[in-house]
Amino acid sequence: MRYAEYVITGWVITGAALAVYWLRLGRRLRRAEKLDLDA
Amino acid sequence: MTLLKPAVARALGWATLTSLVVLSLFGLWGAPADDVQSDAQRLMYLHVPAAWIAYLAFAVTALASGLWLWPRTRSIVWDRVAGASAELGVLFTGITLLMGSLWGRPVWGVWWAWDARLVTTAVLFFLYLGYLALRRVPGNPEARARRCAIAALIAFVDVPIVHFSVTWWRTLHQEATVFDPELKANIHGVMAFTLWFGVLAFTLLYVYLLDRRYRLECLQEGLEDRELERAIEERVRGSQPKDPVDVAPGR
Repeated sequence: MRYAEYVITGWVITGAALAVYWLRLGRRLRRAEKLDLDA
Repeated sequence: MTLLKPAVARALGWATLTSLVVLSLFGLWGAPADDVQSDAQRLMYLHVPAAWIAYLAFAVTALASGLWLWPRTRSIVWDRVAGASAELGVLFTGITLLMGSLWGRPVWGVWWAWDARLVTTAVLFFLYLGYLALRRVPGNPEARARRCAIAALIAFVDVPIVHFSVTWWRTLHQEATVFDPELKANIHGVMAFTLWFGVLAFTLLYVYLLDRRYRLECLQEGLEDRELERAIEERVRGSQPKDPVDVAPGR
């Protein structure tokens, strides 16, 4: 693959950004649901 | 407290994950390399869908803000939708800028150029970052919702400027490739399929994350309200005399 360093970096960065956002949102949501149940 | 039913949201989550995996397979291996740009073109399967979904997210924010400002449709739901959608718009705009920069280095020879499309997109990113900061400013919920709705409508003015910048000014960024001004798609075969599949995958992702973010906003507001009520109760209890006899008149 030509320009592999740019292509792979781009796909990895996008995948990581989306995964981090998705997982962090899930964690915040679970914590908020737990606090809501406790209250 | 959700936009979607739990079963629908769960199914959408799995559909999103599957479509992102399929997009990766087509984007990295299935689609052929471009004749001119070679494999650098594979970044376009992320850059273009991310840009379009950012437009969609900011359009939803503007629409929801307008519905909040309109007295007949005013509801806290619109303020929450606006905030949740703006956050996703910032995420997708960030991806658009990063992928554009990574594509620009091998194809244009530069990471960044002071080009109308690039600059207006960066302005869009910072405008909505400012909007998100504004949402965090403490204050009366109604006043906060009003100032955020006005800010969202002002920021949205930049979206058509970003889109038409390539036609209004002479730019390094190419003009519309997928749709030319006559609305004819100039992309065919597996490349077109991969691009459209990318749009579908990112749309599913946007809808799924919007639902989750909206639910988080609802829960956080409920918790904040309860904390505030508790603090007021404690303050009231604390200000009351412990022994009413001590302050009885005439003593």
